[in-house]
Amino acid sequence: MGFKVLSGNGAQAEAARLARVQVIAAYPITPQTTIVEALADMVASGELKAQYVKVESEHSALQVCLSAAALGARTYSATSSQGLLLMHELLHWASGQRTPMVLGVVNRAVAPPWNIGADHADTMSQRDTGWIQFYPESNQEVLDTVLTAYRLVEDPEIRLPAMVTEDAFYLSHTFEPVDVPDPKVVDTFLPPKDARAILRPGVVSRLGSFTGPDHYVDFRHQVAEAMDRVLPKLQEVESEYARRSGRDLGGPLVGYRTEDADAVLLTLGTISTTARGVVDELRSSGQKVGMAKLRVFRPFPVEAVRALARDVSRLGVLDRSFTFGSSGPAASEVRSALYGVPSPPSVTSFLAGIGGRDVGPKDLHRVFQALLSSRSTGPRWMDLETDGGVVVHG
Amino acid sequence: MLEIRFHGRGGQGAVVASELLAQAVFFDGKVAQSFPFFGVERRGAPVTAFTRIDDHPIELRSFIEHPDVVVVLDPGLLRDTPVTGGLKPGGLLLVNSPQAPGAFSLPQGGTLATVDATRIAVGRKVGTATMPVVNTAMLGALARVTGAFTEASLERAIVAFVPSHPEENRAAARDGAESVRMEPVAPSSRPSPPSEEAAPLPFPEGPVASLPSNILHTSSWRTLRPVIDRDRCTRCNFCWEFCPDDAFDFDAEGFPVVKLLYCKGCGICATECPPDAIQMVTEA
Repeated sequence: MGFKVLSGNGAQAEAARLARVQVIAAYPITPQTTIVEALADMVASGELKAQYVKVESEHSALQVCLSAAALGARTYSATSSQGLLLMHELLHWASGQRTPMVLGVVNRAVAPPWNIGADHADTMSQRDTGWIQFYPESNQEVLDTVLTAYRLVEDPEIRLPAMVTEDAFYLSHTFEPVDVPDPKVVDTFLPPKDARAILRPGVVSRLGSFTGPDHYVDFRHQVAEAMDRVLPKLQEVESEYARRSGRDLGGPLVGYRTEDADAVLLTLGTISTTARGVVDELRSSGQKVGMAKLRVFRPFPVEAVRALARDVSRLGVLDRSFTFGSSGPAASEVRSALYGVPSPPSVTSFLAGIGGRDVGPKDLHRVFQALLSSRSTGPRWMDLETDGGVVVHG
Repeated sequence: MLEIRFHGRGGQGAVVASELLAQAVFFDGKVAQSFPFFGVERRGAPVTAFTRIDDHPIELRSFIEHPDVVVVLDPGLLRDTPVTGGLKPGGLLLVNSPQAPGAFSLPQGGTLATVDATRIAVGRKVGTATMPVVNTAMLGALARVTGAFTEASLERAIVAFVPSHPEENRAAARDGAESVRMEPVAPSSRPSPPSEEAAPLPFPEGPVASLPSNILHTSSWRTLRPVIDRDRCTRCNFCWEFCPDDAFDFDAEGFPVVKLLYCKGCGICATECPPDAIQMVTEA
């Protein structure tokens, strides 16, 4: 196929097409809309042979996908912000029923106040629902991650749902060149879904029905065990994808110039790209800094974080959302992962880019300077330290 | 790396322009990163779009504060948006305007360019007479004055990706390239030393939510205004009921009156009015 100019939303749709999804159900919401518009066009033109089910809400969209997946179909849906929140009940159903499915989520701020900018509060609010979570930084990574996510979740040892996110506008509406793999390559990597359906017409079986305290815990424990198998399995899946596509996604935590670094900043999503450029600038002026992109938030890559932290004295974690009463969600996970390790680094929680606030190189320079010079562990709201433009009171 | 910032309004095609530009640059064999930013999704609301062009992958994903080129799709934005904020000294300002470049100012010096993209779009029937889509004419002019991408690649992108009337859009792009005028401008005063915080930026850096319309000036988005014909009006109140912005009041006799402070010119009232008593009229 070769390179195409795609938006992040175009990359999601292109990946779903290459994965030959069979059932699509979605409800439009800004900034996700162009994903499902593109898929509707593909289905209407016959380019993609799938059932496109129109629904009246995100809750129903996920229910359609759940039912279709239980019958053995490969499904796709996409949403954002308030739409994901409305899906919340069924997110638990998806993991509890061990439903392999992939959901595209455009990360958008949660209301109020109403805001359509990039922010991770929507997906971070779903961290305990038993879904695998990926946070790509480029449209190429969006496409590659959707394809590897299908292969991962459909593995019989996993059978869990996954969400592949994109920062609103910074990916969803950004056009850039994307290397689109040949359909033959994808077909070999991702053969048709193993049709060992949970439900089959004519066979009496039950799914998700009443289970008392005698066995409920076994179901929950099985979800936990499956989640523990995700990271080793992801390594296998990504290695095979790299062999076939030539692109190495790098696992759950991708470090950059972390060797001999005094301070390392962990980032999620698109801020990672800008942070890499700032690390280069600081390195060229003699400052020993590095960064690491947290690609997978669930399951949390505890071992990778410990390995990164071994030779670093200061870790910063930059979150694009806040857990009220605590810190940035990734920061608290990093602290938890490092509890009990010998001579751990300090961990500072930074918040930036909330509600679509732009995070440019000068903002990240301030983050690195704070990380190198201060012993405060935050949480530090970087957005509030810049000139606020129009100031609002009340 | 060349950085371009676009200023337009919802409905003028700034978003499609940023996609077309990325496609054209790609056809030229270069790397583009192109993205729009809109605070609200309404026809007429100010829209900013950003494009970076380079020979190698772009390690930056943020707004463009110091562009090499600023493109203004709606000259009405010059009234209350500091569109040239952060424009590099020696940079280029391209404005959609029937006037000569000299009608505009660029105190820091650089190049001024104008093209009458509205007239071109109306002439080529791109969009409608009341809502012409000026993006392709502007891109044609941009290709000519910057040379950052070829006109051949732009036309190829238009034909491949413009969903309706690609040939008319291609003609508009050619007209834009042929008719754009440019003039170098010397700095009007001694250039001040570059300061990171000096120029106000034309996009929100801070909190702008929760502001009432009289502070946000949302009525400035309006390109058409409703005019009520009292002879036809039956005082049915449909306009008041359908207005999404509560922009109607009633006079002592019960006739609707438009509160222009809040009206964004969406035209829903005119569409819904049973006796067709409301006409949408172009703002002067």
